[in-house]
Amino acid sequence: MTDDQHASADLSADDALRARLAAADPAASLSAADPAGVARLLEDTMSQTPETRSDHLRHRSRLTWAIAAAVAVVIVGGIAFALGNDGDDGPAVAATDVSPSAPVTTPTEEESVTELSLAANGTSGRCLTPEAAPQVVSSQSLVVDATVESISAGVVTLAPTRFYTGEETDIVTVSEPSGDLQLLLAGVEFEEGERYLVSATDGQVTLCGFSGPYSERLAAVYDDAFSD
Amino acid sequence: MTAQARRSRFEALAPGLIDPLRRFLARRTDAATADDVLGDTLLVCWRRLDEVPAGEELPWAYGVARHCLANAERGVRRQQRVAAKIAVVDPPATVAAGPDDDPTSGEAAQVRAALEELPERDAELLRLWAWEQLGAGEIAVVLDITPNAASIRLHRAREKLRQAVGKIQAPVGHEGSKEGRAT
Repeated sequence: MTDDQHASADLSADDALRARLAAADPAASLSAADPAGVARLLEDTMSQTPETRSDHLRHRSRLTWAIAAAVAVVIVGGIAFALGNDGDDGPAVAATDVSPSAPVTTPTEEESVTELSLAANGTSGRCLTPEAAPQVVSSQSLVVDATVESISAGVVTLAPTRFYTGEETDIVTVSEPSGDLQLLLAGVEFEEGERYLVSATDGQVTLCGFSGPYSERLAAVYDDAFSD
Repeated sequence: MTAQARRSRFEALAPGLIDPLRRFLARRTDAATADDVLGDTLLVCWRRLDEVPAGEELPWAYGVARHCLANAERGVRRQQRVAAKIAVVDPPATVAAGPDDDPTSGEAAQVRAALEELPERDAELLRLWAWEQLGAGEIAVVLDITPNAASIRLHRAREKLRQAVGKIQAPVGHEGSKEGRAT
C-alpha cells in the first residue's frame, strides 16, 4: 500500500467509526428546547450582573453587594426631604405638613412618591455586615420594608408596608440613570411581587447587604435600631 | 461594550448555543444536573461575553460547560456522579426513545460500553468528535490544548476504541476488530 492508500483507508475507517459512535449518541433524539423556556432562561441569565468572576454563581450575594451606589433621594408629592444630613441619630426629615420645596417638580397625582435612583459611585468597597455596623444602620435616613409592584423601563416601583425611618410616602421608586447600571440594579434582584428592605442614607442607597430581599435577620437589625 | 450592545450580542449568540449545549449535557449527566449546568454555562458565557472567540463560539461554550459540569459534580453532587454515568451508558427512555430510534440499539449499547471502558480523557475526545461532531481544531478549543495535541490524542483514542469495540464484539466476529492489525 502506498501512503496515499493508507491515508484514505484510515479516513474511511475513521468515518465508519464516527458513524458507529454517532449511532450510539444518547442525545440523538433529544427534543428541541421549548422556545418559551429558552426565552425565560436567556432573560434570567442577562439579569445577572456581569462583573462577577466566580463560577459559583448561586453564591454571589456578597459580590453583587460590594458595589456602593449613590442615590438621589427625592421626595415628590408635597414633602420636603432634608438631603445631606447624615447625622448618627437617623434622619433629618421634614414633617409631613411642610410646604413643598423639593427640587423636583411635584407631579400632579395625589400619591406621594419617594424616588430613589442608583448611580455609580467610587465609594469604598468595604462591606460590613449590618449586625457589625450599628453606626451605619442608625445613620440610614431611609429604611423601608416594601414590595415590588412593577418594574418597567428601569424603574422599580415599590409599595411600602413599613417605614423604619425616613419620611413615609405612598410609593417608593428605584431607578437607574444610565443603562450600565441596569446590571447593578439587577444585582439587587428586584422581582415583581417580592418583598425587600431598602435603605438609603445621605443621598446614597446602601447596598453591601443593607438593602436586599426581605429577611427576618435584616428586619430584626432595623427593628432594633429604629424602634422607639 | 455598552449594556445594550452586550445584550444584543448575547441575544444573537445564545439561542444557537442552547440546543447543542443541552445535547452535550444530556450525553454526560442526568437531566436535573444538565438543567443546572446549562444555566451556569449560559451565565458564564454572559459574564465572559468579551472573551468568546469569534467563529469558535460553540466549542468555547462546550469548554465552559465542561468546567461547569465538573464543578457541579465535584460539589454536592459527588454521589450522583455514579448515577450520571449510568445515565450515559444506559440513557433513560425519555432520551433514548424516539421516532427514529435505531433498531440496532444492541450495537449502540455495545459502542457506548466500549467508550466507557476507555480512559475518560480518550472517551471525551471521541464524544466531542463523534457526538458533538467537532474537528481536531475545535476539540482543541474545548479542551484548551493545541490543535496538534488534539489531533494526535484523537488518533490514539480512535485506535483504543476500535480495540475496545473489537473486544466487546469479538464473539460476533466483527470485521472491524481486525482493523489496523498486521496479519
